[in-house]
Amino acid sequence: MKVLLYLGLVLLLVPVQTTLLPHVSLWGIKPDLGLVIAAVIGLIAGELEGLLVGLAIGWVLNLYSAGDLWLSIVTTGGAGLFAGLLGRQVAQVTPTILCIGLLTLSLAGGVVAVFSLKNATMSETWWMIQSVVLPQACFDALLGAGVLWLMEQRFAVQRLRTFGRFS
Amino acid sequence: MWMVNVRSPYGARRLALGLFAFILAALFLFPSQSQGLLDFLDGPVGQLVRLPLEAVASLDQGISDVWQRYVTLQGVEDENRRLRQDIEWLRGENNHLRESASATQRLTTLLRFKEQALPTMVAAQVIGKDATNRYRSVILNKGESDGIHPDMGVVTPSGVVGRVVKTTGGTSVVLLVTDPNNAIAGLIQRTRDEGIVEGTPQGKVRLKYIPLLSGVRDGDRVVTSGLVGGFPRGLAIGTITGIAKEEGALFQTAELTPEVDVNRVEEVLVIQSPQGQSAAVEEKTDSAAKSRP
Repeated sequence: MKVLLYLGLVLLLVPVQTTLLPHVSLWGIKPDLGLVIAAVIGLIAGELEGLLVGLAIGWVLNLYSAGDLWLSIVTTGGAGLFAGLLGRQVAQVTPTILCIGLLTLSLAGGVVAVFSLKNATMSETWWMIQSVVLPQACFDALLGAGVLWLMEQRFAVQRLRTFGRFS
Repeated sequence: MWMVNVRSPYGARRLALGLFAFILAALFLFPSQSQGLLDFLDGPVGQLVRLPLEAVASLDQGISDVWQRYVTLQGVEDENRRLRQDIEWLRGENNHLRESASATQRLTTLLRFKEQALPTMVAAQVIGKDATNRYRSVILNKGESDGIHPDMGVVTPSGVVGRVVKTTGGTSVVLLVTDPNNAIAGLIQRTRDEGIVEGTPQGKVRLKYIPLLSGVRDGDRVVTSGLVGGFPRGLAIGTITGIAKEEGALFQTAELTPEVDVNRVEEVLVIQSPQGQSAAVEEKTDSAAKSRP
């Protein structure tokens, strides 16, 4: 059942990310929904599920991007894994903590991607960090915090996490 | 035998960390092998994802059609007046070009130049944009099953759009001409100087490696040179709007305004064979003849 849910999520994520999100982008920047979902799943279901779902999301989204496969897989899979580890180490993960974690992860992934660009001068690299990577990281962080806050309002997220930890 | 208990938190953690380390090692130590392994799965997964992607894209297209037809009709009268003026001007230019074309045809026959075959193209629809913000690319609703392969050129009747960089069974990703990772061989139509057209991170286009002695100036048109890549010669890329000559540099660089507004493109043509079917067949016959003992 869970596998089917994750499969549906991954399949639905592609049209949402590539077709619908460009309409709601701010200043041409759209959030990385895959990164956010992998982190939230890692936080709730643990590091292994977070990693596996993150890897699947990273790979499938990369089929619809001109970017490098390794970067997409490492960033999204890593987000699921680190969110899972964070969930185990921190007693109570609040939206603020997830916000800071996602900001860091998204920034790190974005900076690596920008530095791996060919033909870019130093000023162009800096421009990309300022105008693309940083706003997107803020967007991802806010979206992740919002999703977690909404889930906390609707479901007993803390109980789900504790259940996942001791079952 | 050593086994990991996935249900225990420590077992799951160990397995997750081990798996992540293994994937990292495989991707960095054996990049082509791991890429090849995933390429096997690209086709079926691509076909599976194609269904929801096309459903959402057609829904999106329907909504945007309704919006454009019924809601944004305010400036139509002004636009019509402007378009009528454009038609008048274009009719005049068309007459002039017909004259030039017939003259060219006469001269071509006279000089016995080999006629350039028309390229073979397939039409496709844009159904999405790049999944990330870092690349400027669009997704087409046609892929490998329609005969589209990486490195094929993508155009509209107005000019160059970009180049196919990735394909699945039913979709393909086109890297736009405005992306800094794209490079297309270009030619200044008036001076016949060649250069490389590439995008900038800001979404503009520039022509690099123009010789210092070139008499290039603002307003010059840049077309494809047809020497390398999936484009035939003479497709419009853009118009020069600024030239930069740096002190001590060996070449000049020009900024271009692209002929096609790549952010609003909806339908495109993918060039399957830049030299056309006849030329491709001719080439095959030539090579077969050469290989014969």
